[in-house]
Amino acid sequence: MAEERATVTINLDGVDIQVESGQALIDAAELAGTYIPRFCYHPRLKPVGLCRACLVEVEGPRGTALVPSCTTPVGEGMIVHTQSETVKKAQEGVLEFLLINHPLDCPVCDKGGECPLQDQAYAFGAGETRFVEEKRHYEKPIEISDLILLDRERCILCGRCTRFSDEVSGDPLIEFKDRGNYVQVMTFPDEPFASYFSGNTVQICPVGALTAKPYRFKARPWDIDGVESVSLVDAVHSKISVQTSHNEIVRIYGIDNDATNHGWLSDKDRFIFNYGQSEDRLTTPLIKEDGEFKEATWAEAITLVSERLGSFDADKVAGIGGARSTNEDAYVFSKFLRSVVGTPHLDAQIGDGLNAAFAAAVTPRAEINDLETVKTILLWGPDLKEELPVLYLRVRRAATELGANLVIFHPRRTGLDGVATHTFQYKPGTGPDVLRKLVAGDGEYAEARRTLGEGPVLALVGRTGLTEDPDLAEAVAAFALDLPDARIMPLMRRGNVFGALDMGVTPALLPGRVAIDDEAGRTALEEHWGPLPDGAGLDTTGILEGLASGQLSALVLNGADPIRDYPTPSTAAAALDVAEFVVSFEMFMSDSAAYADVIFPVVGLGEVEGTATNLEGRVQKVNRIVLPAGMSRPVWSILNDLAATMGTEFDAASVEAVGAEITSVAPAYGGVAWDRLSWGDDKEGLVLPGPDGTQPLEYTPIDRSVPVASGHRVLHTARVLYDDGVMMRHSPGISGLASRGAAYLHPRDASVLAVTEGDEIDITVDGEVRLPVVIDPSLVEGTVYVPFNLAATAGLGAVGTLRIDAVRGGDD
Amino acid sequence: MINHWSSENQERAKELLEQYPEKRSAVMPLLYVAALEHGYVSEDAMREVAGLTGLTSAQVQSVASFYTMYKREPVGKYLVSVCTSISCYLRGADAVLEAIEDETGILDGETTPDGKISVEHVECSGACGGAPAVSVNWELVEGLAPDKARDLIKWLRDAEPSVIFGDEMQMLFGGQQSFDWGPKEIEGAIAALPAFDPYGTAGGEK
Amino acid sequence: MTQKILLSRMEAHPSDSQTLARYVDTGGYATLRKALKSMTPEEVTAEVKASNIRGRGGASFPTGVKWGFLPPDIRPRYLVVNGDESEPGTFKDRMLLERDPHQLLEGIILSAYALDVHESFVYIRGEYPKPARRLQRAIDEAYEAGYLGGNILGSGFDLDVVVHLGAGAYICGEETALLSSLEGRRGEPRLKPPFPAVEGLYSKPTIVNNVETISNVPWIVENGGAKYAAIGPETSSGTRVMSLSGHLKKPGDYEVVAGITWRELIYEVGGGILDDRELKAWVPGGASAPWFVPAEHLDTPVTIDDIAKQGSMIGSGAVIVMDDSTNVVGAAHRLVRFFSHESCGQCTPCREGTTWLERILLRILDGYGRPEDIGLLLDVSDNISPGLTWPPAMTTICPLGPSSTAPVVSMMKYFRDEVEAMISGAPISIGGVSRG
Ligand SMILES: Cc1cc2nc3c(=O)[nH]c(=O)nc-3n(C[C@H](O)[C@H](O)[C@H](O)COP(=O)(O)O)c2cc1C
Ligand code: SF4
Ligand code: FES
Repeated sequence: MAEERATVTINLDGVDIQVESGQALIDAAELAGTYIPRFCYHPRLKPVGLCRACLVEVEGPRGTALVPSCTTPVGEGMIVHTQSETVKKAQEGVLEFLLINHPLDCPVCDKGGECPLQDQAYAFGAGETRFVEEKRHYEKPIEISDLILLDRERCILCGRCTRFSDEVSGDPLIEFKDRGNYVQVMTFPDEPFASYFSGNTVQICPVGALTAKPYRFKARPWDIDGVESVSLVDAVHSKISVQTSHNEIVRIYGIDNDATNHGWLSDKDRFIFNYGQSEDRLTTPLIKEDGEFKEATWAEAITLVSERLGSFDADKVAGIGGARSTNEDAYVFSKFLRSVVGTPHLDAQIGDGLNAAFAAAVTPRAEINDLETVKTILLWGPDLKEELPVLYLRVRRAATELGANLVIFHPRRTGLDGVATHTFQYKPGTGPDVLRKLVAGDGEYAEARRTLGEGPVLALVGRTGLTEDPDLAEAVAAFALDLPDARIMPLMRRGNVFGALDMGVTPALLPGRVAIDDEAGRTALEEHWGPLPDGAGLDTTGILEGLASGQLSALVLNGADPIRDYPTPSTAAAALDVAEFVVSFEMFMSDSAAYADVIFPVVGLGEVEGTATNLEGRVQKVNRIVLPAGMSRPVWSILNDLAATMGTEFDAASVEAVGAEITSVAPAYGGVAWDRLSWGDDKEGLVLPGPDGTQPLEYTPIDRSVPVASGHRVLHTARVLYDDGVMMRHSPGISGLASRGAAYLHPRDASVLAVTEGDEIDITVDGEVRLPVVIDPSLVEGTVYVPFNLAATAGLGAVGTLRIDAVRGGDD
Repeated sequence: MINHWSSENQERAKELLEQYPEKRSAVMPLLYVAALEHGYVSEDAMREVAGLTGLTSAQVQSVASFYTMYKREPVGKYLVSVCTSISCYLRGADAVLEAIEDETGILDGETTPDGKISVEHVECSGACGGAPAVSVNWELVEGLAPDKARDLIKWLRDAEPSVIFGDEMQMLFGGQQSFDWGPKEIEGAIAALPAFDPYGTAGGEK
Repeated sequence: MTQKILLSRMEAHPSDSQTLARYVDTGGYATLRKALKSMTPEEVTAEVKASNIRGRGGASFPTGVKWGFLPPDIRPRYLVVNGDESEPGTFKDRMLLERDPHQLLEGIILSAYALDVHESFVYIRGEYPKPARRLQRAIDEAYEAGYLGGNILGSGFDLDVVVHLGAGAYICGEETALLSSLEGRRGEPRLKPPFPAVEGLYSKPTIVNNVETISNVPWIVENGGAKYAAIGPETSSGTRVMSLSGHLKKPGDYEVVAGITWRELIYEVGGGILDDRELKAWVPGGASAPWFVPAEHLDTPVTIDDIAKQGSMIGSGAVIVMDDSTNVVGAAHRLVRFFSHESCGQCTPCREGTTWLERILLRILDGYGRPEDIGLLLDVSDNISPGLTWPPAMTTICPLGPSSTAPVVSMMKYFRDEVEAMISGAPISIGGVSRG
């Protein structure tokens, strides 16, 4: 939360008002109900005062002067006129100047109907043009990236897009070019505007100069409906507006929210929505007969599943998934497995996450907004630009605008290196050793260690990749907790994984962050749920191994695709292959769903209502605006039917009732109320309090090697933003952006292997893949990097013995 | 990326980068050096300067395109710039430009087909006291009458001087000067770039 | 009235005034030697303050006051010398750089010493390679002789000077645009405040001064600020180099003391009107300045304040003289075209307005003027600079845009009938050349 600022009194058009000291006049006036026109000003960008649309008169010692209200901070006693003749003439003059070269193509412009220039032209414009010369002409929309079109004739040169790219996202690929009357916005020839954040420029462009291909000509603003929700593409949960036309999502906009995204989105958040209308969506239940899926009725599918699940001993059934669900879906999933089926084996993580108790309950846990005030940031985890892009923007802002120190540990370069104070690359497996040296402030770590002594400190910890030991993150956190005023933010990427853990979709926890061995908590839950299974459950690794060994027989997959996501895909495939019965809750046929006996089609973005919990523990509302695709249904309601068929009627007969049940059953969720989240005090979400008591962590140096080693080479594999995930694959707007995959080698490794950039090599870990070589000097010698889960890298896995073979051409 | 640059220019680039507290400041000088290497500020030149300064190519293009002296299209061996701003205008600059256009057979903004001469009008050259003024590869000649302007073009075409010296042109074709130019200048222009030794663009006796 | 400060060496020694040998031979660097040995930085600053010298770059801001704006405790500080000189009519810095670069250099070293600056940049317009070469040679000589570099003359004071060439952009003469350019960015002016003295180059405190301003510093320190202040009227102290151009018999750079009348300047110093024609109007201080006409201004004194009182400015000291053959629309068009061409393009009124004005003027010159164009020219001007007063009210970040209205307003104020006649196609008795 922003600190309280002093107030000052200004006189606005003859009325004394109290405003926050130092605020921009344009904002102060708006809060007082006086809207001053603007084009270049954007509250999340540095004010530059170049469009001059917001001129107002301010009285000063040397008379009254016109000043841009966007760059003028309010001061005690300031006398401001926003309605004088001079102001009106100046504002109308600017508007006329902007219009003389602007095309009159509003009827065919995407922005028509929601364009500030158009609105103001109607409100103030003279109506008739006094400009009889020829307008500026440019080639009509040009493609400046796979997603973005630029129409320079419509551009009013406010510089919002160029400033966003430079200031906020840090990839200045779009810039002003030429001078004076010829200034235009442009990319460099053959270097497209390939930014993970390009869609934000479309959203903040005040006219129709930048348009997004996925939206172009899809709808007109006046037949658009919208609802606020959050993006479940990753665990930041950026606030979005889901906009529809004729029951179809046509556009996602970021909503400005102090707490999380500041209005920004990644292009994945913004453009992934097309999967909703994909031809490949599963829209009816499917039952496998003789190896073929056949469409079935809901009644048939539910009866079959309930019979089969009921036919096994309870502890021979297990569940994987839930990270793609809402909290309500995850809660009912947990309740169904534990209390109806009666199994303790369930996990929302897929062998690629963190220790659940640590992730859900580390304390003191940081909020994203702590980035506004911390002095030092320690980032030892994933490359945020690839895995949590909106968090990347917030950390970048802290390190640039706000001057925070940033210390990064990662196996190779990351998107934030350019703004970091210290960066260290290390070979996966040597992390514990590096940490030990950092703690001691040895040698090359001495300066970073000193920097980390400047509090308040925020430590962002997670796995740098799938070959990273999950315990390392905890060890880093334990070290960080000894730093001054330190707070920890555990990093995991997958949509609502934190919500699923909070709902008890993990062997270690019961709903509401109650440890499984907390007797009082367990008893309290049993009052609602009935008796719980005894004994410790298995996690995903245990479940897959149990299935393979025959210890388990049946598996419920809830939006999970272990064959793609589990570090040893062969183990996952073998487990699914021998399982006696598999049921999958899915939107699309996936590698894992293909093994299912029954598939239930489930709802997706804009079709589902509930809540979700992000990586700070912030609960926000997820809202519905379109009808479910075909016969697809929400997970909770399918599970309700299954439970009833299996003899247990759940009380909660609506998702809202499930939400209410969570608040009464899950201790940490006691204060959550939907109406407050939707339009009350908790509109920015409610951060749940962490557990009481002292620090649960102590720094214990861990000493284990990474899973993968062979000779002196080790594998680093991590996710990239555009991967081959199920939703990515079915979103035509962005599916083409997925990288084609490569193996990254240190120059010296490449020369030992006698390969150069572009040559192909075969890499074997769990499976074998053939990939072109990219030379990457940012790696530590001996580290081989392969992006995880691309079409070309699927099956490689992360655990196994690393082997590399240069592919020799047939000729030599 | 710049390893095709002459070794002196590579050395120069290094020095220019070190000459400023921040690398980005070297963009403008480096654009001159790159233009000398490529003949003009080509896309490759901008890409190389981006690589040297850690900027994106789009940022370098943004800077380069702001300034009129960075030519992003090839120009002739001799860039003839005719000042047509107010003081030169008052003293007949338009007639000088016309004479030059007529003599070269090309229009303002064009380059002769043999790539020798480019003609452009420019805003004030800072030679108002010697109006009308013309510069060749940014070396000045002041007080140039239309007929002398024709002679200048013929001379460029026929004598093809390898280094352009303002004094020589002034002596052969010039008139009224802004001020006494004093002693003979020892360096001149070796390309259509301002002749400045730290950028490698000057030639002559040194 | 014949006091010479800046030009005496080059006039006395035309063949080698730019060399270190001649500079030292005529007393150069003695002041530096003395100051480094026996004056504190504060004492040097005090002399500059006492001189009352006002900046010669255009804004006429008192140099000592500007120096006083430096925050006391922030380092590094920079001194940036403005040699961008691109205002039409101005060519004085070119001469100072070519003919007496050591004078400037000694001024830089003294100023840097006074300001506790250890790195100084001289920004010279790209079209001035010869002045840049001459200064660079002087710098090389000065390093060699121990006037620059580490431990200057054994004083413990260090200073490096770097020459930076522009590349064709008048706006880079505006001090904040100059700093942007020097940082390797587009030459776009920045918002003020913060002023460069507080937040300038690389966001560090920076003093920007004109070449001529700094060239005066050696004389001021040598002779004392008081002596400098005693030259000329109190608020226009010292001498200044004025660039005379246009329809004059003897155009050129002349060092004058303020207080001389326009008649003296034009008819005596400038030798009178070319071919003995009639004087029609003149621009008193560079292209940005509103025009003067003989009937009102010829016998008024040339001082900063007198010119300001009459609604114009001395600016960079460039006087552009127009005789009776001048087509005022053509002249206004050339001036406005300049501003349109040189607009950086950030501010809407400047980018769009200057170009619009230029195109209306061009249309009139081409014979397609319409009666309503008179009102339109004035109203478009008014939307760039409300009220059309001087100094201009601003709708823009820097004064370039508003300056473009000065020629239009001057033309309408004094020669409206000519413009109207041109539009109506009536014969007019002017002899200038007009060309589209
Ligand atoms: C559009 C514009 C162009 C300018 N051009 C120059 C210039 O070429 N040289 C210069 O010294 N000052 C120029 N100035 C003035 C500078 O901004 C600044 O006031 C001056 O360099 C300060 O030096 P001084 O105080 O010594 O005059 C210009 C100002 C404006 C608004
Ligand atoms: S007034 Fe013109 S030149 Fe000055 S900042 Fe604005 S657009 Fe640029
Ligand atoms: S909104 Fe203030 S100048 Fe553009």
